[in-house]
Amino acid sequence: MAPQVEDRRRVASRLSVLQYVITVLFSILAVSFWVLQVVEHAKFEEMAENNHQRTLPLRAPRGLMLDRNGKILVDNRGSYSISIVREHTKDLDRTIHMLAAVLGLDEATVRAIVDRHRREPTYRPITVVQDATLAQVAAVKARRLDFELPDIVVEQVPTRQYPETMAAHLFGYVGEVNDAQVASADAGELKSGDIVGQAGVEKVYNAYLMGEDGAKRVVVNSVGREIRTLEEDEPTEGKRLQLTIDYDVQRAIEEGFDQLGFNGAAVVLDPHDGEVLGFTSRPAYDPNAFASGLDRDTWASLTGDEDLPLSDRAIQGRYSPGSTFKMAVATAALQEGVITPDFKVHCTGGATFYGRPFKCWKKGGHGTVDLRHAIEQSCNVYFYTIGNMTGIDKIHKWATLLGLGEKSGIDLPNELQGIVPSPEWKQARFKEKWYAGETVSVSIGQGSVSVTPVSMAVYAATLANGGTRVRPHLLKAVDDGGGWKAVPTPPPLSRAPLDPEKLQAIRDGLYLVVNGAGTGHNAILKGYDVSGKTGTAQVISNQGKERAGKTEKDLRDNGWFVFFAPRDNPVIAGVVLLEHGVHGSNAALVAHHVMETYFAKKEGRPLPPKPEFKANLVP
Amino acid sequence: MFERRLYYHIDWALVIAILALCALGVTMIYSTTSDPTRGISRMYITQLYAIVIGLGAMLVMMTFDYRTFTDKSHLIYIGLCALLIYVLFLGQVQMGARRWIPLRAFNLQPSEFAKVGVALVLAKFYGENRGTPSWTDLAIGFVLTCIPLGLIAKEPDLGTAVTLVPVFLAVAYLAGMRMRILGMMFLALLLAAPIAWKFALKDYQKSRISTFLDPSQDAKGAGYQQIQARITVGSGGLSGKGFKQGTQGQLRFLPVAHNDFIFSVLAEEQGFAGVLVALGLYLFVILRALEAARLSKDRMGSYLVLGVLASFTFQVIYNVTMSAGLAPVKGLTLPLMSYGGSSMIATLAGFGLVLNVRMRRFTN
Repeated sequence: MAPQVEDRRRVASRLSVLQYVITVLFSILAVSFWVLQVVEHAKFEEMAENNHQRTLPLRAPRGLMLDRNGKILVDNRGSYSISIVREHTKDLDRTIHMLAAVLGLDEATVRAIVDRHRREPTYRPITVVQDATLAQVAAVKARRLDFELPDIVVEQVPTRQYPETMAAHLFGYVGEVNDAQVASADAGELKSGDIVGQAGVEKVYNAYLMGEDGAKRVVVNSVGREIRTLEEDEPTEGKRLQLTIDYDVQRAIEEGFDQLGFNGAAVVLDPHDGEVLGFTSRPAYDPNAFASGLDRDTWASLTGDEDLPLSDRAIQGRYSPGSTFKMAVATAALQEGVITPDFKVHCTGGATFYGRPFKCWKKGGHGTVDLRHAIEQSCNVYFYTIGNMTGIDKIHKWATLLGLGEKSGIDLPNELQGIVPSPEWKQARFKEKWYAGETVSVSIGQGSVSVTPVSMAVYAATLANGGTRVRPHLLKAVDDGGGWKAVPTPPPLSRAPLDPEKLQAIRDGLYLVVNGAGTGHNAILKGYDVSGKTGTAQVISNQGKERAGKTEKDLRDNGWFVFFAPRDNPVIAGVVLLEHGVHGSNAALVAHHVMETYFAKKEGRPLPPKPEFKANLVP
Repeated sequence: MFERRLYYHIDWALVIAILALCALGVTMIYSTTSDPTRGISRMYITQLYAIVIGLGAMLVMMTFDYRTFTDKSHLIYIGLCALLIYVLFLGQVQMGARRWIPLRAFNLQPSEFAKVGVALVLAKFYGENRGTPSWTDLAIGFVLTCIPLGLIAKEPDLGTAVTLVPVFLAVAYLAGMRMRILGMMFLALLLAAPIAWKFALKDYQKSRISTFLDPSQDAKGAGYQQIQARITVGSGGLSGKGFKQGTQGQLRFLPVAHNDFIFSVLAEEQGFAGVLVALGLYLFVILRALEAARLSKDRMGSYLVLGVLASFTFQVIYNVTMSAGLAPVKGLTLPLMSYGGSSMIATLAGFGLVLNVRMRRFTN
């Protein structure tokens, strides 16, 4: 019996040991759970929330742009963007590899995009494709269901849309905000990934146009599927802008340029207040390409193009004004009392000043002409003479008062200033003395005079309205959601004290240019007394042209046409510049179509059809 | 056979604790599987059926004297090994393993019953011997354990296979195995570990262990479940998120929530309070069963109770530890609570034997 008793004792004691061991183990478990669930609860609760709650941005659409009559010029369309949210990424390399394959993109491209945003917080989506095709969206969504790409988000975002390719430089374009812009903006105003205006009106009025992004907090399951929305902060759409642009006038300008095929610029104003009715710069680009994220190749082709499609010729191009400058010289001579409108000069086809011969464009000469006919015929000898009599200082003074050589102050970014030379300017610029002979060249708009098309439009408006140098502007009204509020007209920049009678003489000359024996016949519009002046500015000197040969396109003269109508109480004024357009009369073709459209619309008549004119390329 | 007076010796407290755990399990299965976005699942109904069948099996195991079972244990053992071999070659493949014999209503998993079989055969073997088991006795017991263990490990189902080890150790320990030998075995295991690491373990098993040591090294891969388990438990807090209100389990951040991780879901939805209740019930069941082992009229009864209890206790402790993300993730279910018919029936049958031993403590 002994071993049995011993067995029994041993069993009892060993069972007791097990009892204690198990009790201790359970106590340890209980303590462990207490630590996790009570002591460290806050930490894990936050982690659980991060797990199942996502904050998704709701992009605010940018404000629409309308023309002066309420026609939509720029709007938004729904598009899909595809982004990586690294917060939910298991293996970034794998995600990049797979995403590139699924989207049909180059892996290096995707990696470069991700690298650019590497330092941002991981919860912020990195947009890989801004305007995804439906096929791309479908491909990504299929993979998401397979749990293969749980860190990819397909977002519906409003994308800027420019329904018609017109006025590209005026509207400008939008793009992702860059680091410098984020840094220079007020705190919290811009954040990385925002879409902001990068040029044109989009840039200048970005603060109006940009809405306020909303956000949506959703519950998602483990594969990122949205289960329900917890709260939603609706995005606020950007403010709507009404521009001064008239859609039909704008379209007429574009049609004119399309028809002729020249590069150049045109600005059309309401001469009373400086409202811009139409504005173009050619060659243009397609702002839509920027809206959906410009790829490297397109950007390279835009920046590498010799024609500089990104530069806004209307406000940045500086050109010799040629004969269009003659009104400024006439104004100076008349206002300073150097001449009267009846002052006559005999033109024999050329004249000698300071021992140097100066030619008139007409070989046989114009005979004896007064101011009106000198403008009508664009007689160089007449203006050499009165320019020389008036002197550079006075020419400079009056040309400036008329808006030349100054910034127009238009509400567009990066406007450049033209040059109306003066002795002071020459001294400062070249540290050289002014020679009287230079004044003779300046008198016909050659020499160092260079002007921007927009300042020429102001010049035309100032002559049209009697001397008020209006400030061209694009914004007519803003709708901040509570109805349209008119934007006050910016005050004029200066007022030239022009004697109406003397000004009338110049206007008579301009009327004759179009309606008399002048070079502006192409702009004639029955019943509207169109007044204007052509200008044909050499790009290269005659001697240089002979050296280079006459076949090179780039050496053809620039053609100007400044205009207003009607002669008395003008309601429209502007300028058309054709680069290498051979002659100003070709520019007048565009101006004619614009004015015909403008008046037809104003009087409720059917608009003229798309023009079919051709440029006269014989110099 | 079943005598009337035996009825009065049934340990109703143990039965009630077991049923309470079963009810808790069904509730949590209902909570995790009836998400309307995924369609109404009938899993909790299946579990209820399994409990009913299990209670039937329990009754059968109580009806006959446990010595009837131990007497026939070699036949039961051989039968079970045959079933395991059958599964190995003809079983149904699910998730890369052959573990199941498809029956009409559910799939039978013979490995769950192997635990009871091994407990029976070891109880008989050591119960017939007196005194401290000799080396030969230990070796024979070891081999008896290793045959089904090897077969199960081959399926592969390493988790279930490992649960047989505590059965052998516990019975041998109670039978009087010297502590020195236990120490030596532990040492041998320690030495064998690197070899096993190199040759025996599969890659997924290695990665589970290495990520356990440092879950963040693979936070979205193998370490994912462990981190999610910890988040699930920790976010439950003191009183829990409420029935069906858990985000981790309901939104599937935690995989197989109704199965391996049911305790995590309990911790999330019922909080530390719920955890204490469940742990208390388990501890009560285990201590109460140990009491049955102590009260047994013979050693064989004690060994049998402990054999049944060993795999149960091991699984409970391991699974609960794993549920809190404190142990490597292994496909070990929580007995009585996790979803699974075979496990439920085998566990209840095992407790039938425990009750059997206790209620027959006065009979000869």
